[in-house]
Amino acid sequence: MTGGRLRPGRPLAPVVAAPLALAVGWLVAHHSGAGWVQVLGDVVFGAVVVGVLGPAAVLARARVTVTLAPLDGTAGRPVRLEVSASTRVRVRPADPPGPDAFAGPTGPAAGGTATVTLLPARRGVHDRVVVDLATATPFGVQWWTRRVVLHLPAPLAVAPRCGRPAVPPSGAGSGDHDADTAVAVTAAAAAAAVGDPRGARPYEPGDHRRHVHWGATAHTGELMVRRHEQPAVAARHVAVTLPPDPEAAERAAEAALGALAALLEAGTPVVLTTTEAGGRRVAPVADRRDAGRRLAAAVDGTGGGSR
Amino acid sequence: MRLVEAVKRANAPRPPEESVRFRVACSAAVLVALLASASVGELAWPLTLAAAALVVAGMAFSWATRAEPPGWVKILVAAGAVAAMAWFALRVNAGPITDIVAVEDALTVLFVCILVVHSFHVPAATDLLFALAASGGLMAVDAAQAVDLAFAVPAAAWAGCALWVLVERWRSASGGGRTSPAGLAAAVGGVTLAAVAAFLVLPAPTVSARTDILSRSPAGGPVAVPVAGALAGDAGQPAELSKPGRAGGPTRVGGYLGFAGSLDTAVRGRLGHQVVMRVRAQRPSYWVGETFDTWDGRSWSQSHPARSVVGGGSPFALPVPAGDPATGPEDLQTFSLARASANLIFHAGAAAEVWFPARTLFVGGDGTVVSPVGIGAGAVYTVESRLVEPGSAALRHDPAGPGLPPPARRRYTQLPRPYRRAAALARAVTAGRRSTYGRVEALIGWLGAHTRYSTAIPPLPPGADTVDEFLFGNRVGYCEQISTALAVMLRSLGVPTREAVGYVPGPYDPVTGLYTVEADDAHAWVQVWFPRYGWQSFDPTASVPAANPDPGAVALADVGRALGRVPLLPAGAVLSVAVSVAAAVSWRRRRPATWAGKVARGLERAGRSAGRPRRPAETLGEYASTLDRLAGDGEATRAAVAAAAEAAAYGGAEPGPDDRRRLVGASRRRLPPGP
Repeated sequence: MTGGRLRPGRPLAPVVAAPLALAVGWLVAHHSGAGWVQVLGDVVFGAVVVGVLGPAAVLARARVTVTLAPLDGTAGRPVRLEVSASTRVRVRPADPPGPDAFAGPTGPAAGGTATVTLLPARRGVHDRVVVDLATATPFGVQWWTRRVVLHLPAPLAVAPRCGRPAVPPSGAGSGDHDADTAVAVTAAAAAAAVGDPRGARPYEPGDHRRHVHWGATAHTGELMVRRHEQPAVAARHVAVTLPPDPEAAERAAEAALGALAALLEAGTPVVLTTTEAGGRRVAPVADRRDAGRRLAAAVDGTGGGSR
Repeated sequence: MRLVEAVKRANAPRPPEESVRFRVACSAAVLVALLASASVGELAWPLTLAAAALVVAGMAFSWATRAEPPGWVKILVAAGAVAAMAWFALRVNAGPITDIVAVEDALTVLFVCILVVHSFHVPAATDLLFALAASGGLMAVDAAQAVDLAFAVPAAAWAGCALWVLVERWRSASGGGRTSPAGLAAAVGGVTLAAVAAFLVLPAPTVSARTDILSRSPAGGPVAVPVAGALAGDAGQPAELSKPGRAGGPTRVGGYLGFAGSLDTAVRGRLGHQVVMRVRAQRPSYWVGETFDTWDGRSWSQSHPARSVVGGGSPFALPVPAGDPATGPEDLQTFSLARASANLIFHAGAAAEVWFPARTLFVGGDGTVVSPVGIGAGAVYTVESRLVEPGSAALRHDPAGPGLPPPARRRYTQLPRPYRRAAALARAVTAGRRSTYGRVEALIGWLGAHTRYSTAIPPLPPGADTVDEFLFGNRVGYCEQISTALAVMLRSLGVPTREAVGYVPGPYDPVTGLYTVEADDAHAWVQVWFPRYGWQSFDPTASVPAANPDPGAVALADVGRALGRVPLLPAGAVLSVAVSVAAAVSWRRRRPATWAGKVARGLERAGRSAGRPRRPAETLGEYASTLDRLAGDGEATRAAVAAAAEAAAYGGAEPGPDDRRRLVGASRRRLPPGP
């Protein structure tokens, strides 16, 4: 956990109340000469002082960690984290945003963990979340907040919402391209292999390198590939190029996920091409979750944009 | 429009407060405030108990209806609050408002009404906090009436409840957040530290405006008479002062024999440490009760005891005593009597205005103010005095001269006889001093150098003169002898002087802001006339050192005082616990640690009871054999028991539990009594 500065919440009321209590007690005491009035005023002053400054001291020492976090999420849907806190604090997720939750011990037997819900608006990969911690302990007089960064145990991939496929999955081999969403679906360079291997055959251009049968190649002196029992289903190549505008990129990612989901549901092998922070990545996607992770990590075509 | 929306927002129903502990804590704070009102006499006990019952019922009703409070309840609560406020406004406008203290009785009732009515509609957390704030207001009103440290109990209880409320509020707002004991202790410690710091930093409370706290005063009621014939106001002669009591008899609390028509310096009253009154004053002063102008060699008395009647009810504007300057800084004092007292109205300097619950007061020409009724415990009255404190430099330059009209001058220089020796001494001491102040200064200096203070002085011989006995006898006395000697010497020089009696301030209590006056703070001093500044007080006793005490008597007195201060119950409890612990430790040390030791102890005890104790060099076996022989039954039971014990102690042959019990029992068998 890395923390920021402490900030008082609504500082006016208690800060005014403390000297006011003292002044009223003192004035009444000095008007009537009643020392007990001043004593009571001093006690109220002391309570307000501790109520105002106490939360800051507690919050400065508060320790909050994420003990459990999922690996995947979907934009617009809640993502629940297990959070552990050394003291009772209110946790308000800021990035990604989410509703308030209280974490910290509630009793001698109770643990200090609580569930904090994130509601990410967009896709992305998060290795940390930014939250606002707040407390008013021990008297509930004054709230103090502190923005801290909580590191996740493992990166959280927030997939885009599953949009309507921009390109019909049936357009196999036709080289369909949706200019609005920058999703292109073409026939893959090589057929994906399905079925049981039956033997070996000489290599032909377009065969995947993973299908090279090295034993047969060594035996024949010619590059050989595995031959399968059934004819291979033709894989589809989906290339996603996201625009720089975040909103447009989000829409494109949603559309891409819709297309990918449709293809995967139809049993079509898919090779997905995206641009990630490390560069262009071309790799098959096994399932919808894999597709979501790939799109979560995708950036715009220039290599920048959303995480 | 924005205002309407703000009002709507403020009145919008808030989520109901579900925490029972929060409500209980809040109810406790309110109940403590009500009980505190009763404890300081602001509220009658039956009314307090009724209000407390209503608050509990109201809180329970609010809890039951918290989810959906009935609309009629809100209307009734609002109507009740409006009615209470209207009553308060009418009550306050009925008379002149001098300050907040003047309306505090009405304030108390208002707060109680608000608390009771409001308790029926406290569905949300903010409503509960309002109840806490109202209870704080009631506590403040109560605190204004508290005059002693006994208020610490309700104050601490309320503060504890208030902190409990706040902790429960946080607990409720945070979904059950628990404050650890260490955190709670730190919070309470922090509150205490901040409160103490504020208390120490802020100036001590004092009176800055007129106070009128008489409405609840029981003054004028029946007065307990400590001594037959003493301290009772005389209904037939209301202007008459309290009777002095029996000469030489116990004076009890506040019964200083000087607070009467005469001051007999031959009477040795015994004054205790009981608290007589508590005084809230702008400054410490000598609070004078009365003055005397006529000296007869043994007693002071007043030559003109007749007093004029001041009517019109409280506050009484008193006439300025003849010759006194009418100007000077004001000094407000409020006297709260802890015990029945003489019917004197004590005051600093010259009393100008008195708040006292009577229709009339009696004022003497010397400024002595007398109540027509006895003043009972709990009575409170306030005096506004004018102080003329010119300082020593101004007094030194005050022209010596007649100043007073001849009759008054004759009164205040009266002497029963010429006092030749005292006059000669006075002239010798004040030789070269021309001003009145210089003479007073010289005489006080001489008294300080040549006399000693002690309350343990021998009785005045019959027919003897107090001043001669003091100045030319043992030169040991207390305030009455010392001040009388100064007065007589000054009068012998022609300086108008009078004897004053009253109280000096006791210790100042920083919490209550009051001076605690005890019975032995009664005092006598001298007032000297200065033409420009009127009567000025001088206390020669302050410069007189204490006499060498009798070590034995002092030690005994100290021991007695120390023992008297020990609280019996706690000390007895501590002593009992200490004795019990010591007995337990001793028993544990003496009891045998092993069963073999028990056997030895049993044999020794049996032998002792038979008249044959064990000898130092005798082994246990030998001793047991001897006992067997003494038993004469032909059995070697004890020897066998001793052998088993020795085998266990030295040979490690430990018998089983049943055998051990049997052997111990056998060792304790009694023998026939010896020869």
